[in-house]
Amino acid sequence: MVYDILLPTVPVLGAYLITYSLYKLGLIKKSLHVSIWNFIIGLTFLVCGGAGFILLILLDMGATLPISQQLLYWHVEFGVTMALVTLFHFHIYWKGTKAMLGLSKRRSDS
Amino acid sequence: MKISIKLNDIKRWLKGKERLMGVLGAAPVVAAATISGSCAGGCPYGLVNDPYPGQCPRYIDANGDGICDLSQASTTSTTDSDTSNSNTDSSTGDTQTATTDSHGNPDTGADQSTDTGGADPSNVTNASNVTSADDNGGFDLGDLLGDGGTGYHVIPLSVLLMGAYLFTHYLFTKGVLTPKRHKRIWNLLVTGGYLGTGVTGILLIFMIKLGITALRQPITFWHAELAVLMVIGTLIHIHIYRKPFKKMFKVLFGRGSTNTKNSGETCEAPNKII
Repeated sequence: MVYDILLPTVPVLGAYLITYSLYKLGLIKKSLHVSIWNFIIGLTFLVCGGAGFILLILLDMGATLPISQQLLYWHVEFGVTMALVTLFHFHIYWKGTKAMLGLSKRRSDS
Repeated sequence: MKISIKLNDIKRWLKGKERLMGVLGAAPVVAAATISGSCAGGCPYGLVNDPYPGQCPRYIDANGDGICDLSQASTTSTTDSDTSNSNTDSSTGDTQTATTDSHGNPDTGADQSTDTGGADPSNVTNASNVTSADDNGGFDLGDLLGDGGTGYHVIPLSVLLMGAYLFTHYLFTKGVLTPKRHKRIWNLLVTGGYLGTGVTGILLIFMIKLGITALRQPITFWHAELAVLMVIGTLIHIHIYRKPFKKMFKVLFGRGSTNTKNSGETCEAPNKII
């Protein structure tokens, strides 16, 4: 099976650059930019995770469905998208990510 | 007026929610019953002629042609693909001849690969009938408990993670863990899950694209195991950040003051959460 990598990544990358530019230019609020990408990561998670979960159950059962091949294809495509959107998520929450990884300066921690 | 109508609709929907939950609860049972009759035993991914080492742990190659038997459509099934409504006796007969042919004549393997390139799902179903006889003949619900056919530990891992979350949440409510530390632990775990699943997934795509077979099975195994961490971790992540999660819907689909008044909290929260 042939999987497309550029097909899901390029439009998503372009869309992120657009919403980020709009936010930086002050045309949209940061909350809208953040919410859009949180919603997209949730959506890709649902499709990718749901398809993966169904495939895992089928795998465990040793069963197949007529749509198994399509499920695998969309699992991979949405998985690639989700991987990219996860990077955007880290970018959006960059300060929190740095704090989580211990890269930022430690504040007084009770 | 319109709002009151909508509210009434929602109330009616909520009344019927219990019935809906009953239907949803019955869905897996109905699905399992449907699968067992027609599709059990084939390639779980629906692949046709999946080469060694295969894309799933159920790879089996009894005839030694380097192609997973579960994904293999028999030559007879491709020629007889028009007769999709054939009875079970004749299909069993076809599969036996296909197996003997592939053992004796290596050319049949090549024919299979060329003929089944555009195989439709009915051929895959035929292939499933081929292997269901000599494999496990159907699905075993016991496998879902974790250490079954594929060796993935879905349920034990999920239970372990949820138990760990309940434990840390208990410590957090008792004041042993600070909210910051509690969030940090689970953010690190979910990050590990996403990174692990993402990296192994991308690796698998490139390995399939480039035809690299080495280490494909262990990587697939860790992809699935880390995906469990990712999924459970995401659900926990949503629970921890449930207020910003709800606000996300308000910002995107809500009306009125939510965009102006509360938007700051949603957008600023990312930088101060951990």
